[in-house]
Amino acid sequence: MDWTLLGQQLANGVVNGMNYVLISTGLTLVFGVLRVINFAHGEFYMLGAFLTYFAMSALGIGYLPAVLLATVAVGALGILVNRLFFWPLRKEHEFTVLLSSLGLALLVTHGAELGFGHDPKYLNSPFTDDILEVGTIVLTQQRVLIFAAAVLVLAATYAAIRWTTFGRMMRATAQNPEGAALTGVDIRFVHTITFVLACGLAGLAGALVGPVAMIFPTVGSWAVLKGFIVVILGGLGSVPGALVGGLTLGVVEALAGGYVSLGFMEAIGYAIIILVLLWRPQGLFGSVAR
Amino acid sequence: MIRKALPFAAALVLALLPLGTQSTYLHHVMVLWMLYALLALSLNVIIGYLGELSFGHAAFFGLGAYASAILTMQTGVPVWLALIAAGLVAGLFGFVIGYVSLRIVGPQFAILTLGFGSIIYTVTNYWDDLTRGPMGINNIPPVTVPGVGPLGEARDYYFVVVACVLAFAYACHALMRSRTGRAFLAVRENAPLAASLGIDVFRTKLLGFVAATVVAGIAGGLYAHYLRVITPELMSLQYMAALIIMVVVGGRGTVVGPILGALIYVVLLEVLRAFGPLRLIVFAALLTGSVIFVPHGLVSLWRPWRRRADPAIRPEPAP
Repeated sequence: MDWTLLGQQLANGVVNGMNYVLISTGLTLVFGVLRVINFAHGEFYMLGAFLTYFAMSALGIGYLPAVLLATVAVGALGILVNRLFFWPLRKEHEFTVLLSSLGLALLVTHGAELGFGHDPKYLNSPFTDDILEVGTIVLTQQRVLIFAAAVLVLAATYAAIRWTTFGRMMRATAQNPEGAALTGVDIRFVHTITFVLACGLAGLAGALVGPVAMIFPTVGSWAVLKGFIVVILGGLGSVPGALVGGLTLGVVEALAGGYVSLGFMEAIGYAIIILVLLWRPQGLFGSVAR
Repeated sequence: MIRKALPFAAALVLALLPLGTQSTYLHHVMVLWMLYALLALSLNVIIGYLGELSFGHAAFFGLGAYASAILTMQTGVPVWLALIAAGLVAGLFGFVIGYVSLRIVGPQFAILTLGFGSIIYTVTNYWDDLTRGPMGINNIPPVTVPGVGPLGEARDYYFVVVACVLAFAYACHALMRSRTGRAFLAVRENAPLAASLGIDVFRTKLLGFVAATVVAGIAGGLYAHYLRVITPELMSLQYMAALIIMVVVGGRGTVVGPILGALIYVVLLEVLRAFGPLRLIVFAALLTGSVIFVPHGLVSLWRPWRRRADPAIRPEPAP
């Protein structure tokens, strides 16, 4: 047994897992509050990466300001998307909303292919070349940045949901929209802000992971599939579930990719959710009753 | 009177459609339409009648295509037997997957089927020895009709596929008039209530799911022997999305809806070729628009008109 290799795999897995957590927290928030499975969620991840790329190349600003700008821009885009695609359909059947989001995903993907080109792009970050050594484990600074930023942002999000007035409004809407509206919660405002938060988180994930992987217009469907696995694993609508599910998926994938086969790595994530759902149909942290 | 004759007239027109043109291109488009119609009708059993969303249906289509292609090419089984085997293989997988996942409902079920679909896709893509991986299988033998010989032309092929579509469309219609069909609807509308009336919810769902997968497998076999080349892309997310689009845009829970949805899908993709690279964007925009503005499918546009024309028809329950 090579302990150095194992430690390295685990470290990579945890970093990838934090990326999955960033993606899926937004997905799970949108499901919890709006009761919508958003197929277009991955597109915001893709847009986050591309906006960072274009902010750096067109505006000539540094990597970190570009990440900030892209996150805010993608979050602001969430207002528009919610207004056009999700708010008008809030009373329709769940299939209708799901298909509307699927249409939006196709629209954004193909639009991006046309606008940004098919070829993969490299996002330059000043942190990819420098490494950080902890014992025998070697990580690029970019990966450390992903981890640190994710922890910070997720802690802030969790605290906001737990302790602020808006967080209480959000949880009230998630529990019972009519009841929340009756007590004076502005449902529309809650939906909008939830969407902004979800899109912003996905955009941030894309902007942070962009320098580690190549970026291309169809990366969104990859992101949303990972997000699905994580939220189903952790329990739809549960934020702690997204955290545990994302880290689990990241670590298991890293180990499977390292010790079994890279080709079947993608299928292994699905194999895990099938096993978990057989044991707990509502996911690890999901609640049975709505 | 007219209302009773209409389905027969439509079936006749459908059956004789290729005689109206000499263009092999149009014949090809018609065959594709019928193949997709068969698939959409089978998916409609799950989406429309059982009320569950399955993202794994394209995988059963692919399973049928691969099963039929591999059987005919490696064992020399006649094609008609291989088509039945394709249905059985897909149905067997459908039984196992349905048995495991139908205990779960709603979004979790949808994503679970997506998971099973992705596993089947990945295995097909990497099991080089059996499936030749991403290269796909080519030179698949065409369908041979006893006494006629191999079907070479798209027009001949159309008659085989349209017979399957009409038979299955009638089967769906008859199902909805039967006790079992009413059990399907009861399960869709309110599962606990259905259970309290003595309907075995799980077995009813499993029955519908397996039937749908068997037909998807046969459709896959027909597809493989028509195009004579298959790749794992048949099971990709793009096809899964396309099938769901056909059913929902056409009108879920109806017999006409999926056939209409398949027509729109096939024709739109052909017509939009004029748009070049904009094609898929226009397609996605039309899809989104139709979902937002006509949420019950295009079939629902027909209903108000029909009711006005014939006041004797009692109002139908919302689909």
